[in-house]
Amino acid sequence: MLKPKIICVTGGKGGTGKTLVAVNLAIMFKNRGYKVLLIDGDVENPNTFLLLNAKLKNKKKVLYFLPKIIEDKCTKCGLCAENCETHALLYIKDSYPIPISTVCSGCKLCYKICPTNAIEPDLKVIGWTYTASAFNIDLFLGELKPAEARSAVIVNKLMENLEKVIKTEPEKYDIVILDTAPGAHCDVEELINGADLVIPVTEPTRFGKLDLLRIVELIDLLKKEHKAIVNRSSLLGYKEKFLKELEEKHIEILGDIPLDEEIVSSYCKGIPLMDERSKFDRDGAGYKSFEKIFENLLKWGDFSK
Amino acid sequence: MKKIAIISGKGGVGKTSLTASLVSLAQKDPEFNVITLDCDVDAPNLALILPPKSEENVLTHDTFTTKKARFLEEKCVNCKQCYDDHFCEFNALDWDESNNIPIINYLACEGCGACKVLCHENAFEINPVKSGEIISYEIDIGLPLIYGKTKLGSTTSGLLVSEVKQHATKLKEFNDANFILIDGPPGIGCPVIATVSGLDYIVAITEPTPSGLHDVKRAIEMVNQFNIPFGIVINKADLKSASQKQLNKYIEKAGFEILGKINFDLSIPEAMSYAKPVVDYAPESSASQAIKKIYNNLKLVLSTIN
Repeated sequence: MLKPKIICVTGGKGGTGKTLVAVNLAIMFKNRGYKVLLIDGDVENPNTFLLLNAKLKNKKKVLYFLPKIIEDKCTKCGLCAENCETHALLYIKDSYPIPISTVCSGCKLCYKICPTNAIEPDLKVIGWTYTASAFNIDLFLGELKPAEARSAVIVNKLMENLEKVIKTEPEKYDIVILDTAPGAHCDVEELINGADLVIPVTEPTRFGKLDLLRIVELIDLLKKEHKAIVNRSSLLGYKEKFLKELEEKHIEILGDIPLDEEIVSSYCKGIPLMDERSKFDRDGAGYKSFEKIFENLLKWGDFSK
Repeated sequence: MKKIAIISGKGGVGKTSLTASLVSLAQKDPEFNVITLDCDVDAPNLALILPPKSEENVLTHDTFTTKKARFLEEKCVNCKQCYDDHFCEFNALDWDESNNIPIINYLACEGCGACKVLCHENAFEINPVKSGEIISYEIDIGLPLIYGKTKLGSTTSGLLVSEVKQHATKLKEFNDANFILIDGPPGIGCPVIATVSGLDYIVAITEPTPSGLHDVKRAIEMVNQFNIPFGIVINKADLKSASQKQLNKYIEKAGFEILGKINFDLSIPEAMSYAKPVVDYAPESSASQAIKKIYNNLKLVLSTIN
C-alpha cells in the first residue's frame, strides 16, 4: 500500500530549533508540490501553530480512564486496591476504596476484575487534539491540559489519527512531518518509532552535544536512520570540538543553519522563512542554509510521489 | 528549609545557565547551605557547568522505578485470551501467529500488571527493571549535587525525578541544608509535575518570543493548580519582537512577580563554552549583574515565605 514518507524532527535539548526546522521542512515540501501533513507532538508545549500563524479548529477532548466506585455495588473487599500496581486505589478495611487520579495508570485492571462490577470508567479530560490548515499545510496538534501528567496518551491519539488517515485515504498526504517535545521520554520515543527518517536538531554547545548523543542513542535503539542538523552553527567557542566529536561518533550531518536575524524575525511574525510568498531575502544566510538542507534531504530519502 | 525549582515550559530559554549562577551565588552566601538537584532526567546538563571536585567522589546508584511484564512461555496454554480480550490498555500485547503466543512490546509496556492478574495460567510476571541512574557528588566549589539520568526507553521520567528528590534527603549534608535548588525539565508534563510537587517557590524563566510567552503561560497555569508561589525571570529581555509587549502586558495584568530581566549578553554563551557559571566567568558583565539582582530579589521573596 502507498504510504506517506514520515520524517521525525527531534533533538533532546530544548530550544535548539526543532519546531523551526519541522515547519520549514513542511513548507519546502509544499513548495515542491507535495501534499504535507505536519503533526505537532510536543503536546506539553505545542508551538507549530504559532510559527504558522494558524487558527486551531476541530477541538476534540482526549479522555482518560479513572475508576469510579459505585458504592451501592461495592462490597469493600479490597481486591481492586490489592492488585493495583501503581497504588492508585487507597483502601482501608471496611471502607470504600478511594481512587487517586495522579498515580492511576489507566490500565483498567480494577474495572476488569471487580467481582461485583462496582467500578465504572470515569472519563476525565486530560487534553485536546486540534486540526488546522495554513500555508497549504495541514496540521494535527495535541495539547496537554496543564497539571495533567499523561501526555503520552495525547501523542498516542495523534498517531492513531494519522494511522486512520493513512488507512482511509492513503493518497491524501505524500509527506508527514512529526515535531517532538524536547527530552528522550516516551512521547518522543513514540514519534521516533513511527518515522522513516529522523532528524535531530542540535547546536554546537556542550549542552547540545551531550543531549544529541543521548537522543541519537535512543534513535539507534529504535533502529531508525538519522542525520543531524546543526542550528546556530556560527556560534564559535566550542564548535570545532563539537564537530570532531560528532565525526568520531559517526553522526552524519544533514546541514547547518547559522545565526540569522531573518530567522528570528520570521518566527516572531508567524510567517515561515521558506514560504514562496514570504518577503525574506532569498540570498540571506538562513534562507540559503534551508535550501541546502532540503537538497541534501532529497538526496537522502526516497521522496518520489 | 526552602525548596525551589527553575522551570520554563519552553526548552532552551536558560534554565540551566540561570540555575548554575544561582548555585554559585548561594554557595558564597553565608546564610545558605545548599543542595543542588538536576531533575531534567532526560537531558541532565547542569553537571557540565558544576563538575565534581574529583572523579573519586562521584557515586552512582541504579534505580528500578520502572516495572515491565515478562511472558512465561512454559505456562502459556495458547488460549489467546490476553490478546482477544485486550488485557493490555497500552497495546503492548501483540499476538505472534506463527508461534501462537503473545509478544510483549517492551517499550510500550507500562508494567501495570493487568496481564499478570488477568491471565488464568499465570503466564505473565511483573519485574522491576533498571530505569536510570542517580549520580551524586561534591561540586568543585564544595557543595553536593544530585542528578538523575533515565535509561533510554525506560519510559518513567516522573518516577525518577521523585527518586532524585528523595535521594537528597539521604545525604549526610541534608540535616544542615537550608536551601534546595532544582534545575527543572522543560515542558509541563509528568516530570515537571514531579519536580514542583512539595516545593516552596518556583522561578519561571521565559523569553519575549511567541513560544516563550505561550509556554510560560502554560507552565504558570500548571504551577497555579498546585498553589505554589512563583516569580518570573525574563531572559533575552531586550529582544526586538512583538511578543515583548504581550509578555509584559500578560505579567502586569495578572500582577505576577518579576524577579528580574536579563538582556542579551554574549558573555552567557561564552561562559557556557568555558563551562562556567556566568557570574564566575564574567562577574562584571550585564548578565551577571542582572542575575545578582535576581538572586537578591529571590532571597527577599523567600524570606517572606514560611
